[in-house]
Amino acid sequence: MREDCRKDFERLSEYLDGELDDAVCREIERHFRQCPECRECVDSMRKTIQLCKEAAIEEIPAVAKERLRAMLRGCLARNHHLS
Amino acid sequence: MNERATESIDHHLISEFKAGSMEAMEKIVERYEDRIFTFGLKMCGHLQDAEDIAQETFLNAFKYLKDFREETKLKNWLFKIATTACIRKRRKKKCEPNHEISLDSFFPQNGDHPTYDIPDVSDDPSDSMLRAELKNIIDAAIHSLSHKYRLVFNLRDIEGFSTEETADILGISTQSVKTRLHRARLYLRERISNAYKEGIVQ
Repeated sequence: MREDCRKDFERLSEYLDGELDDAVCREIERHFRQCPECRECVDSMRKTIQLCKEAAIEEIPAVAKERLRAMLRGCLARNHHLS
Repeated sequence: MNERATESIDHHLISEFKAGSMEAMEKIVERYEDRIFTFGLKMCGHLQDAEDIAQETFLNAFKYLKDFREETKLKNWLFKIATTACIRKRRKKKCEPNHEISLDSFFPQNGDHPTYDIPDVSDDPSDSMLRAELKNIIDAAIHSLSHKYRLVFNLRDIEGFSTEETADILGISTQSVKTRLHRARLYLRERISNAYKEGIVQ
């Protein structure tokens, strides 16, 4: 069992990302059903990824966006291709 | 909006920009500025740095848009430029974390099975202070990753690029993307869990 734990620990992310063959996924899921420790390991990884995605939203200040546009307008207006 | 529709609008705007339309330039910026700013912020941790990266990215993009190939996705191309800007910015900083993450350090030894206390996002949505605190913990954890792991994590898990797209943006193999992403996630799980436990104890 220990060997299975190590093997599945190494391919946990590929499993979560759906990057493994169906047969391999079934094998991993069979192991998870029998191993509460690895089940907890995959659950906490899934929660970590979800949590990071949820926290990814940032409020970008309008003044920073306006400065970006002003800089681009200034630089690109000097470009010959633009009217 | 599906990917094909997005690409079609992007290519239309690029043609208009090449024909001299400043309005098309503004529209392209509007479509991607939030994502590029966010990426810069996640990579560098400071708004000023994120602003520098956004400015460098869009300026270079418009400067070289004439070389843009039809088969390329504009979003991927912009992130390639933004990644280069982040790498350049990083070279100027001397206190960036720079550590390798070993898989063995996260694999339970001697029969130990650590438990990870990862909060549920739906635990208490009404408590905005808790959520803000949690966001600080997560942002600090992401920022403590070494640059090469942070790049992969942000492109894959935050921006949602595929393994192949991430490999192409970074110019590395798909296997390296997978390896770095797995290690980054293991590291973040431990950091977030520890910080969250400490927060509860306090």
